[in-house]
Amino acid sequence: MTHRANFWTGLVVTSFALFALLWIIPTQAGESLMAGMPPDLLPRLAMYLTLISGAIVTIDALRKMLREGTAPITLNLDWPMIGWSLWPIGFVGLIVFLLSMFKMTYAGPVILAVFLVLLGERRWYVLLPCSTVPVLLLYGLSVYLMRVGVV
Amino acid sequence: MNFDAIGGAIGEALTLASFIGIGGGVLIGYIVGVIPGLSRSVAIAIAIPLTFYMSPYIAISFLIGLSKGSAAGSAVSAILLNAPGEASSAATCLDGYPLAKSGRPKMALQMGLLASVIGDILATIFLIFIAIPFARVALMFGPYEMAAILAFALVFIAGLSGGSLFRGLAAGGLGIFLATFGLDPQTGMPRMTFGYTEMMDGFPLIAVAIGTLALSEMFIQAERLRNERDTMSVKIENSPDDRLTWKDFRPTIRTILRGTGIGTFVGALPGLGPSVGAWMSYGMAKRASKDPDSFGKGNPEGIAAAESADNAVIPAALIPLFGLGIPGNVSAALLIGAFAIHGITVGPLLLRDEPELLYSIFAGMIVASLIMLVLGWFGLRVFALITRVPPHVVIPIVIFFCLCGILLQGYGTFGLVLLLGFSVLGYLMKKFDYSFVTFLVAYIITPLLELNLRQSIILAGGDWSVLLGRPIALAFLVFTIIALIMLARRTLQRQGQAA
Repeated sequence: MTHRANFWTGLVVTSFALFALLWIIPTQAGESLMAGMPPDLLPRLAMYLTLISGAIVTIDALRKMLREGTAPITLNLDWPMIGWSLWPIGFVGLIVFLLSMFKMTYAGPVILAVFLVLLGERRWYVLLPCSTVPVLLLYGLSVYLMRVGVV
Repeated sequence: MNFDAIGGAIGEALTLASFIGIGGGVLIGYIVGVIPGLSRSVAIAIAIPLTFYMSPYIAISFLIGLSKGSAAGSAVSAILLNAPGEASSAATCLDGYPLAKSGRPKMALQMGLLASVIGDILATIFLIFIAIPFARVALMFGPYEMAAILAFALVFIAGLSGGSLFRGLAAGGLGIFLATFGLDPQTGMPRMTFGYTEMMDGFPLIAVAIGTLALSEMFIQAERLRNERDTMSVKIENSPDDRLTWKDFRPTIRTILRGTGIGTFVGALPGLGPSVGAWMSYGMAKRASKDPDSFGKGNPEGIAAAESADNAVIPAALIPLFGLGIPGNVSAALLIGAFAIHGITVGPLLLRDEPELLYSIFAGMIVASLIMLVLGWFGLRVFALITRVPPHVVIPIVIFFCLCGILLQGYGTFGLVLLLGFSVLGYLMKKFDYSFVTFLVAYIITPLLELNLRQSIILAGGDWSVLLGRPIALAFLVFTIIALIMLARRTLQRQGQAA
């Protein structure tokens, strides 16, 4: 792990812990005077643990960056690689959106075929079974074995 | 000793339904293990939804069989592809691949299988003999002891399962925090539900487990496709010299027994995991060998050392699980979730409340080991063929089953969105080395931790001097502080050396 990555991730973790301690827990955890242990005690302890640990990671990385003279921000990033890393996540996000409208059993073959093509598969004798057999298995599992109907 | 329960357990383990369930688990595990990039925890996470409609015994045995099968199967790709099916089989590559390349792939695979099965069976027997007395002692523990032991286990896992204690603790804290969402168990008041009724039960374990383990792993695998695409598997030829003989096997017996011992010890400690066991065993086998230079060049002892330890870790990791209800690794943590889904509290109470189930699981584990031997021995060529399945075909299918796991449980779009969210979280944790193991273990044990902490606070009534009368709890609190200091020092020293 680079010091820059440690610095930024530590900062994100610390900021989230602060946000949770200052807003989420006070407004959402609730309180009960009758309870032996307040409902916000464990989430609060957990976030203090995260806050302290995140702060140590951030400060340690910052100290090392200052010693080495590393700038906290760089534009010298492998953008094509970042794009390549992000597209599967985006594609699964698109699938989730589609599945809010269509059932997986009906949309599954298309989703699988498109995903396989995007990952570089072009052979029809691979595409056909790989996009239909998993869906048939799902159908058999949901309708005949689990009896929850078509999902 | 409850002989009626033991007799009943053996009878149940030998039924046809049991054989189908365990055999199915071992077979799926073997296939998953053979495919590089799919780990046993990924397989367990995806398979948990399939067990909803099985009996508790079949469900747990299926998952344990799956875990065992994947540990043995990962050696196949390590030996034939030089790409371990799981990180824990990386040590197997060192001697497995050179041996396969030298024209003895079948012998290398048979050696790996036998070492796996022997390590597995011996560690399972050790588990049976140690877990029951362990659980009997643990039944005397109260909430103070349990809360202290859980805190100790979390610190230990945070420090040892990742590169940095602090990143591990941050991940653990996040896991605890997210596990407290939903109704407060004592008052029944909504806690961090943000007004959503779907959040009353908190985040579904299935979405958290599949997201952080399986789906995130597929994103990582998809990322690797940019640089690595083709796989070149060593073919198994029909050579009469390419088989394991007694002459080959005899010198490795001592190494297998040593590996089993190391794997059992490492597995019983929370947080270390099978990779540590396999590498330790490999290193010790090399040191103990009369010809250490032959290691890394196709010495069967190298395969035997790594595989016996790798497989011995799985049953050994169940010692703290059955004895104390504490998971030592992700697979064991997922088993807690599977037990909970079937309404069973795992830990010492299992011995008291459902001894038949516990004995049945033990018997099922032995059956799983024997099925693993038969499947691995006779299915060798078929599993070798699976290593040729390219990763770009595996990734979309696994992602499809990840999504199906959520839909089959009826969580709908809400569950899918959570799944995506947790997969992104898991992806970032893996990319930036924030221990997802600690995160998931913390998420799963938080209800138990909260219950015991709450009971301790109520019983103490604000007077913490009661701890002085609870030496075990006090000892574990002291151990926790010592572990915290030592692991923090180790992390800072490592970071200092790296800088």
